[in-house]
Amino acid sequence: MERWEPQELIRNSVLEVRGDGKAGGGLVLAFQSLAALLLADPELHVQEWPFFSSARRGACIRSFLRVSRRPITAACEVTRPAMTLLMDEGAARTVDFAEGVPPGGTFVLNTRRSPAECARHYRLSGRVVTVPGDEIGTRFLKHAIGNISAYVAMAHAIGGFEPRDVAETFIHQLEKRRIPDTLLERNRQALAASAGAIREGVFDEAGADDHRPLTFAGYGELPVGAQTGLRLSRTNRTADYAPSSFRLRFDDPAVACTGCAHCITNCPEGIIRWRPDAERGLLVTGVDVSTYCKLCGECIAVCPEKLFKEVPFEEEWKEVAIRS
Amino acid sequence: MSEPTRGPDLLHIATPSGERYENVIDLAKVRAAHRVLYEERETISADGNTAAAIATLQMWRCLLFAGFPITPSTKWIETVAATIARDPAGTQAAKRVKLLEAEHAVADYLAGAAAACRDLIFPTATSSVGLDHMTETTRSLGASGLGNVMIIDVYRATANYPLCIEGDPSDTLAHRDDGFIQIACRGKQQIYDTIVQAPVLGMHPHIMTPTQPGYYGIKDSHRSARLTVEPDREIHAFQDRWMAPCPLPGLINGDTAFGNCVTSRHFQGFKVSQKRRLERVLELLPRIGADFERHFGRPGLAFFDQAGFDDRPRLDIAVASMGPDFGTFEALRAAYEKRHDLSLGGIAMRLLTPFPRDQVRQRLAGARVVLVVNQAHHSGRGHLTLDVADALADLERPPRIIGAFAGLGGADVSESTWEAMLDDASAVLGGAPAPPWRAYHEGRPV
Repeated sequence: MERWEPQELIRNSVLEVRGDGKAGGGLVLAFQSLAALLLADPELHVQEWPFFSSARRGACIRSFLRVSRRPITAACEVTRPAMTLLMDEGAARTVDFAEGVPPGGTFVLNTRRSPAECARHYRLSGRVVTVPGDEIGTRFLKHAIGNISAYVAMAHAIGGFEPRDVAETFIHQLEKRRIPDTLLERNRQALAASAGAIREGVFDEAGADDHRPLTFAGYGELPVGAQTGLRLSRTNRTADYAPSSFRLRFDDPAVACTGCAHCITNCPEGIIRWRPDAERGLLVTGVDVSTYCKLCGECIAVCPEKLFKEVPFEEEWKEVAIRS
Repeated sequence: MSEPTRGPDLLHIATPSGERYENVIDLAKVRAAHRVLYEERETISADGNTAAAIATLQMWRCLLFAGFPITPSTKWIETVAATIARDPAGTQAAKRVKLLEAEHAVADYLAGAAAACRDLIFPTATSSVGLDHMTETTRSLGASGLGNVMIIDVYRATANYPLCIEGDPSDTLAHRDDGFIQIACRGKQQIYDTIVQAPVLGMHPHIMTPTQPGYYGIKDSHRSARLTVEPDREIHAFQDRWMAPCPLPGLINGDTAFGNCVTSRHFQGFKVSQKRRLERVLELLPRIGADFERHFGRPGLAFFDQAGFDDRPRLDIAVASMGPDFGTFEALRAAYEKRHDLSLGGIAMRLLTPFPRDQVRQRLAGARVVLVVNQAHHSGRGHLTLDVADALADLERPPRIIGAFAGLGGADVSESTWEAMLDDASAVLGGAPAPPWRAYHEGRPV
């Protein structure tokens, strides 16, 4: 298996990096910080940009980065990256984050699982680097946001940086966003913890046909009702838009529901379960989070009894399918 | 036209009532109140919207920043507002952000403010339907001679149903006749540099036409790279050399721009004058570009960027396109040329309106086939195709023209898509018939 060493690519041609995550998860900040870190070297040419559509928070998004010692003019998306990041395991349900990566490439994953487990599960051949970013984010920022760790892991995978520069570049990006000092300090702690939590290994688990770039088969004709189908949750699995690591829970052991029905009328997906109730008019009994709940938070916001909550949830790998 | 001028006779025309409105604004005080962003030349990392925001913030003539957020241009007003708000001592007190209730209100605000303060520059940024919402006023601005208005258009496809935020230039190309000078940019540096030069062009007494610099949404607005920013004093020195002072508020040949009821004869003459003012851009733009290059050491305004022409008078295939995707063509050009044993060059349009037909004709006349790559919806062969065809029409032996569409709806224009278009152009070079137009995506016609 030929190895695609990031530093060698930067020196001799161009290192192309792609990241998959979900809107609102900090993927863009991770890539912007990496670009800033690389741009500190005046000899390097860097371009970094995201791709996202008009879909809401939680939708799959991508980021791209090119770095080289030569001027970069290419502006097209990166389709055969030598290095790729899976920032959010939930995104892997929808996209193949390793698509187009040649055997011997570098795979960076924000996951609590080991490099060997990831290589087997995602069928990866090359260098696999993992970091439990969501856990670190929860520990230091009370929020399962893995972009700090993902950035540190990408910098580690490229190599050649001083730890202090890695940390301070990220902090500088936060300062530009006018983040309060107390939060900056917690980010510093998360950055340090991330550096100590990186694991890596080299594996050869990909089959010959795994992760091949898909061939564009044409746009085809839009079927009647295609647009409506996209907008209606009953034909579109909107739960994929939810941030991973969380789910909605309805909990009402004391039957405190007043029957106000605010949750029912505000839920855009119509997934609140209820039954008629002689005293209240209706009684909410639960919520179907399996397919359509995208954790928009409307029910949490409107329930006067605070019966809806966002709770931690771990992705189950059995839900994950490698597309190619 | 003369060298950078202090203004022609228009300066000395009084209004019929005799009002001159001189000294209404103390420009010296405005200039003194400017808060310097950069004391020295610096290299920073920035995306396109940030580059545009920095350029406007560095101009002492930019006092009022009107805006209404719309993706993908929102970060321009965010950056401007954050920078102004970051000034606790109030030294930036002269600068204000005016967030309005909608884009049409922004355009009206610009019109009123710009008509009253002809020596100041009034910028905003918008996109897609935001520009559409401004249309009634943009056409008045175009006619009015308010060259001190600058609408930065961050290109985004113009279809709000289905909702999309993708960056194609269908918004700016749908407004070709609003009466603005439209200049396309690609890359952070070109965005920054163009925004510094655009008001110089628009406010020139012979031009007096508002400007619309633009760049691709997402593909450039959100793409970060290295950016060289100049010290504020150098930007002021460059602009001041060309700009001051402006004619009286609203004066064009003695007529006020707004509020007047004029006779049909005056109005018709006014429209002819509007067209002439726009045409003068073709003469002035290269001079401003050359002066910029002398001052800052980087290429200034130009009619188009070019690649692969070198000293070759004849080329097998020439590409005419615009935007950042031209960079992908540049990246693969030499290899394609070698692999297919043909000569290949291309231009990326900078000045969209007025279209520099003579310069385009001169550049493309030696090509055997011209592949025009359009990226915006058009009812026919494409906006650029028609302009290029018009430019080449009176040649004795005009090149064969291929009208291609790629990147519609902000789609990626990959290397394989460029190669598919070039393969078809090669086939036409070999005698194959050229369809009126063809759309491409991911390496194949669609």
